Amino acid sequence: MFSRKQNSQASVSSDMANKQKRYEVLVLALHTDIFRYAYWLVKDKAVAEDIVQETFLRAWKSLDSLKDEKAAKSWLITILRRENARRFERKRFDLVDIDDVSVIDDQLSNEVEIEHRELRAIMASLSEEYREPLMLQIVFGYSGDEIAQQLNLNKNTVMTRLFRARNQVKEALDKANDDRGRKNG
Amino acid sequence: MDELEFRRTLYADPNSTDEGVLAAIAEDPKKQEFCKELKQLDKNMHQASQVKVPDDLVNKLILRQTMQSHKSSKLRNRIQLAMAASVAFVVGVSFTMWQQNNLLDLSKQAIAHVHYEGDYALDAQENVSLQQVNAKLAKFGGKFSEDIGRVYYANFCDFENVRSLHMVVEGENGKVSVFVVPHDDNHLAEGSSRDTRYNSQAIDLKRASIIVVGEEGANINKMKEQLQRKIQFSA
Repeated sequence: MFSRKQNSQASVSSDMANKQKRYEVLVLALHTDIFRYAYWLVKDKAVAEDIVQETFLRAWKSLDSLKDEKAAKSWLITILRRENARRFERKRFDLVDIDDVSVIDDQLSNEVEIEHRELRAIMASLSEEYREPLMLQIVFGYSGDEIAQQLNLNKNTVMTRLFRARNQVKEALDKANDDRGRKNG
Repeated sequence: MDELEFRRTLYADPNSTDEGVLAAIAEDPKKQEFCKELKQLDKNMHQASQVKVPDDLVNKLILRQTMQSHKSSKLRNRIQLAMAASVAFVVGVSFTMWQQNNLLDLSKQAIAHVHYEGDYALDAQENVSLQQVNAKLAKFGGKFSEDIGRVYYANFCDFENVRSLHMVVEGENGKVSVFVVPHDDNHLAEGSSRDTRYNSQAIDLKRASIIVVGEEGANINKMKEQLQRKIQFSA
């Protein structure tokens, strides 16, 4: 009786160790993408970090329900979107406007960095319904079908939103270029 | 594929593998240029989207989960401890109750004792003096202050492993057996019993219990009260 108990305890702790390992692999592999996704969802680093932490905590708790590691990414995105929605139930944060925050990425040369900063501001200015599918496509390389599935939309809607998103980005870029041209000229 | 649809499709997905789109691109250098531009835009947006991830985020994520599982395992331990404690508590309570239920009812036991001994004591015709009785009672720290009537028999006996005094005295209507049993935790010395032949009554006194057993009709109640009045226990 006692030996059986010990055995089951040992297997429990080895289960735990397995789970722990799985979790750590998941964190290491996906936290960057998930953080960026969160960031583009809420446009605030601190809030994004909070949401990512909540997301992974929930992921840890229900790690057993994740059967297929390949589905991990979309599973985490689903959790993250739910977490984000929950945040609005709890309270409405004062969101910081992306223009006010310097999003530093120092490796790039100054000129490119300026360009990126501009682009980021434009991307951030897109409304969420456009921004989210666009980020799924660009950051995660999702296809139209995958985006539709992830966001629970039909594919035509997704394609239309993607079209409008890019359209808006392009218009904004052209306008910025014009402005700059005028200023410089 | 018309111009508008072409642009729409590419705007929605610059990497579209739609055959019509690919054919249109292959035909028209302008469209090729347009597609290239869009792909460049995507590349730029991708680069721009790669915001810096806080350095310590990985550690935070792993640490927090470790704390969480530690907390929950502590909680689990607490629950286990609580369960063990309540099991122990229930065992303790039920053992006590079981013991109480198993208290020896002296009035019943006395009748059994009388039956068991048969007529040996009841037939005795000695004439034990009060002094002799008191000498024996002294073992239990007691004595009778007054005469209790004729005593036919007075001797120590074994009352469920407790050394007791067994007497047979003259009652109103015949002989009455009297037991003086020192206190014991397992004894329940209150109340009365009866069977087909005997009645018994027990009473708990200062240092011992007295049980009076008489045949049906004998006034054992009176005997009990009389003894209770006359017996005295040293402090």
